Amino acid sequence: MSVEVQPAVAVNPLQPSSRRLFRRVLRSPTALTGLFLVAFWVVLAVLAPILPILPPNDQDMIAMGNPYPSAQHLLGTDVLGRDILSRLIFGARTVLQVAPLAVAVAMIVGIAIGLLAGYFGGWVDMLIGRLSDIVLAFPVIVLYVVLISNVGPSVFNIVVATTVASAPGIGRIVRGLVLVLKHQGYVDAAKMRGESTLHIMFVEILPNCRGPLIVDACLRLGYTIITIGILGFLGLGLPPPTPDWGGMVRETTTVINIWPHMSLIPSGAIVSLVLGFNLLADGIGEGNKQR
Amino acid sequence: MSDFPHAKIPQLIQDLKSGKMHRREFLRFATLLGLSATAAYGLAGGSDPLIGSARAEEMPKGGTIRIGMRCQEIKNPHASDFVERTNVIRQVCEYLTITGQDNITRPYLLEKWEASDDLKTWTITLRSGIKWHDGRPLTADDVVWNLKRVSDPATGSSVLGLFTGYLVENYETGEKDDAGKPKTSSRLWSDKAIEKVDDLTVRLNCFAPQIGVPEHLFHYPMFILDPKENGVFGVGSNGTGPFDLTEYTVGKSGKLTPRKDYWGDGPYIDALEFTDLGDNPSAAISAMASKQVDGLHEADALQINAMKGFDHVAVYDAVTAQTGVARMRQDNKPFDNPKVRLAMKLACDRAKTVGASLMGRGIVAEDHHVAPIHPEYAKLPTVERNVEEAKKLLAEAGFPDGFDTEIVTRPDPAWEINAVQALVEQFKEIGVRATIKSLPGSQYWDVWDKVPFSFTGWGHRPLGVMVLALAYRTGAVWNESGYSNPEFDKLLTEAEGTLDVEKRRAIMDKIETILQQDGPIVQPFWRTTSTVMDKRVKGFQQHPSQYLFANQLAITA
Amino acid sequence: MLRFIAGRLVLLFVTLLAASVVVFSISEFSPGSVARKSLGPYASQEQVESLTKRLKADDPLPLRYVRWLGVLAGVIDDPLQDPATGLDFHDPRGSRYFGNLGYSTLYKMPVNDVIWDRLGNTAILAGLAFAFIIPLSMIFGVLSGMREGSKTDRTLSTLSIVLTSIPEFASSVFLVTLFVILLPLLPGTSPLTESGQWSMASQLILPVAVLVIYDFGYVARMIRISMVEVMEKPYIRTAILKGLSPRRVIMRHALRNAMIAPFTVLLLQVNFLVSGVVVTELVFAYPGFGRMLLEASLFGDITLIEAATLITVTVAVVTQLLGDIGYMLLNPQVRID
Repeated sequence: MSVEVQPAVAVNPLQPSSRRLFRRVLRSPTALTGLFLVAFWVVLAVLAPILPILPPNDQDMIAMGNPYPSAQHLLGTDVLGRDILSRLIFGARTVLQVAPLAVAVAMIVGIAIGLLAGYFGGWVDMLIGRLSDIVLAFPVIVLYVVLISNVGPSVFNIVVATTVASAPGIGRIVRGLVLVLKHQGYVDAAKMRGESTLHIMFVEILPNCRGPLIVDACLRLGYTIITIGILGFLGLGLPPPTPDWGGMVRETTTVINIWPHMSLIPSGAIVSLVLGFNLLADGIGEGNKQR
Repeated sequence: MSDFPHAKIPQLIQDLKSGKMHRREFLRFATLLGLSATAAYGLAGGSDPLIGSARAEEMPKGGTIRIGMRCQEIKNPHASDFVERTNVIRQVCEYLTITGQDNITRPYLLEKWEASDDLKTWTITLRSGIKWHDGRPLTADDVVWNLKRVSDPATGSSVLGLFTGYLVENYETGEKDDAGKPKTSSRLWSDKAIEKVDDLTVRLNCFAPQIGVPEHLFHYPMFILDPKENGVFGVGSNGTGPFDLTEYTVGKSGKLTPRKDYWGDGPYIDALEFTDLGDNPSAAISAMASKQVDGLHEADALQINAMKGFDHVAVYDAVTAQTGVARMRQDNKPFDNPKVRLAMKLACDRAKTVGASLMGRGIVAEDHHVAPIHPEYAKLPTVERNVEEAKKLLAEAGFPDGFDTEIVTRPDPAWEINAVQALVEQFKEIGVRATIKSLPGSQYWDVWDKVPFSFTGWGHRPLGVMVLALAYRTGAVWNESGYSNPEFDKLLTEAEGTLDVEKRRAIMDKIETILQQDGPIVQPFWRTTSTVMDKRVKGFQQHPSQYLFANQLAITA
Repeated sequence: MLRFIAGRLVLLFVTLLAASVVVFSISEFSPGSVARKSLGPYASQEQVESLTKRLKADDPLPLRYVRWLGVLAGVIDDPLQDPATGLDFHDPRGSRYFGNLGYSTLYKMPVNDVIWDRLGNTAILAGLAFAFIIPLSMIFGVLSGMREGSKTDRTLSTLSIVLTSIPEFASSVFLVTLFVILLPLLPGTSPLTESGQWSMASQLILPVAVLVIYDFGYVARMIRISMVEVMEKPYIRTAILKGLSPRRVIMRHALRNAMIAPFTVLLLQVNFLVSGVVVTELVFAYPGFGRMLLEASLFGDITLIEAATLITVTVAVVTQLLGDIGYMLLNPQVRID
């Protein structure tokens, strides 16, 4: 994906505190809508085990005759007689566990290489830059499809693929920020105090990269959710019967002309969650700019 | 009596009349022994459904029929594995015999076959007057060349597996593999195994009795190819069939045009086209909805459900011996314990599995892999679900709390993965916690016969003993479960060489009971295979093996 | 400039090498053997071993890789085309020539016969998508970026964000339901063969629409951001304050400057579209590069995957290069060292 090389995030060294950031989200209608959508799914995912819903893999044979929404199955059942509402909520649990994990790992790796490249410069920067170019030139879907179809689908593989694909882009953003920040007075001051390089990188510089990174993380979460959905749709997703939104669409597009709700509902769920993260990113980004 | 091609036929007629034998069984064995299908149907009261000449007059002429089907690579017909490949080749090259939509096998390129009383010598005689597209007559030499070619392991044909045990033997090559075990290979058991008698006659001299020879000659890769082309097929290839392949692009499309001088029925259409719609089942539906194709090669239960409401579409079904089995390797813990295997069978809710994974398009099976449509089928009681009994058996086997396991399957076709999902839920109730490992087809076929627990789809075969010999006899090539039971082996050999119906049914009863009680498979159902055709398409019958015979097809304007 | 281009070409070469090594190594993890895949489930172990030998698939990884490189460079003969293997692999171009991408085990054809037609089909799809993405995203981006925070801006921005949030498989589900099932206006599949009443052009509409929907919103947002920045530049403000008509200012000054950054973005969408075509081609049965790539990956056809990788990487690097050159030409202040 080309998200990483985009100037979508204005590099802005003026950093908000957490409280100010939160207040800004509350003030932007865009960010607030996004936050609401994300929070909606997060709450459902967290509460899934205690919500009064049917088990996601139970097959209701009677409902199969009439799989449309009913009192018993509020969103109807899928082709195997499983409750769509329950699979949707447990599916949110799946995707909200995998996507943030994948993005977090990618962030850690990306931040590390970005700090190294930006702070040390010279041949380290050069080497990391060239390696990033190589990875960024590699179409991510090729990487995903080749890797997953060969090694098999698992959370671990999705995390690895996301990290490889995203870390260089994150690294570039961090590097750009570091190049600006390392000449700031407080960094020089820290150097004068004789602080260690690690201290300067992680305590003085990194916290000030927070704003753009939060925006980038939101965008990446959205994209990773789409990618997980695509893998599920291609049959390379998490193994059944794990409830997985992309897989739910795949299993039911066949009957879309008679039972459209089966594929439209999970499609809608993916769109709403991705939209949530995109709106959140947009709102925070605007806020960053307006200071 | 001497009117009949085989001394046993009068006895069969007697059995049919006295009710000892079912109609289907009579048809099967009378034709097996060389009586023509027309005559056999006459005796059994009915007319041969495969005979097309009666309706030739009514068939519309001209037009193009387009079928949605994967266009796979087709270079090596003798090694073809998927029906899609053979559906292209089948229009150009033909078989010696044909098993019809009614599961009865008849001579095709053959005029007749004759079996010796001991079922060890089979004499097959070609129809005279059949010509290759290039004008050369079809001869016994062509047949011998083809039969010998598929018997050579280097060809990579699955016919080899069927011939093994009566025409082909395994032997030690004298070399050793890396582990120090002697390497084995296969070869025809004798130079005389496949013997030319005269220009139209070939004799098969077998070392063991075999009743399935006519069916084996219709095994999908058993095409009669022109020896001059050395087993390679492509656009413009020679054949005896009704069509010429004029265009073919793997992964995209194919086109066949009819021959004017075909020896058999039809062809009625001006062109047959195949369109590759990929692996996405909804694309096939979209193509039917938009009338971009006139029919599909196959449609699963979900697709049928989606399309049966289309006004212009007719659904065709065939009851088959296609099935899927959850098979347990007998040499792996915990499945080495027969109590565990039985418990797994007791856990299965068959009706629910048919409903959930086939949407009702199938019938329940009895864990012994002999189908009601097989002529030698003996009816056994179905294994009813019994969770308590299953738990008890597990406890006796040393698993009072059940156990964890992993079942290997593949993501396509959908009914397989859906059946596995249904079964896993049912196993859960007896305490067996199975996780599903779904491997892409190519990887799946590397481990399908190795992993402890997996789900396997089995194709339709016209005889029950054919599949038992391939899948459950000790050391058989496709014995995926490593099943080995000397008593079963002995009974199976006996059944393969027994013609007397009563005796054979008694043997089959024992064989089926062994598999049901001790055998390695949980077999929930037999599938009904289906497809759809535009209502303008005439003459189509769904074949249990999903074979397409385009010379029988016509289309109205 | 020349030094810059030469540097990039060296980078392309290194990237291609690295990518091909990576793909070869990943294939090592694949538990399935090529021979088994070629022969299908019902071949005996002996038949599989014999074919593995003939395909030379049991040689160690480095040897196979070097051999593949040698065949590609035209330095050595493709060993699989040797008639002695009995594989009947035959490339009409000969067994040794520069650019020999090897033999596909999935299609049983030279990769060069498999890949270019499909790439051409995909190029048509992507080209058409571009022809819509560029004007649409420009209209959206400029209109909303012109007056930041205006009602137009909010509407168009929101619409762009919503559209970028719809993955291709979801939008194709929506579009097929609407235009194939409910209102049968368009063909449901695009096999690119003459099929009844549907022209080739009509077969392209839905796949192109799916690609455009997902992609153009993203580009529009990039253009918007860039436009907003330009509109805040002092010289634009001055021009407007001096009484020049805003329309004139935008057309004359703002637009050109605002397009500089998105220009690179637009070119990078080529890379982006590669992922889109896999799903789109699967849904609409389009005989293109993406579907081929998916099938080759699932089958484990390493020569075909390698060839596809080389092509996609080349396309990505070259478009990036073009993007950078264009950037320099548009904006003379930028110098890349």
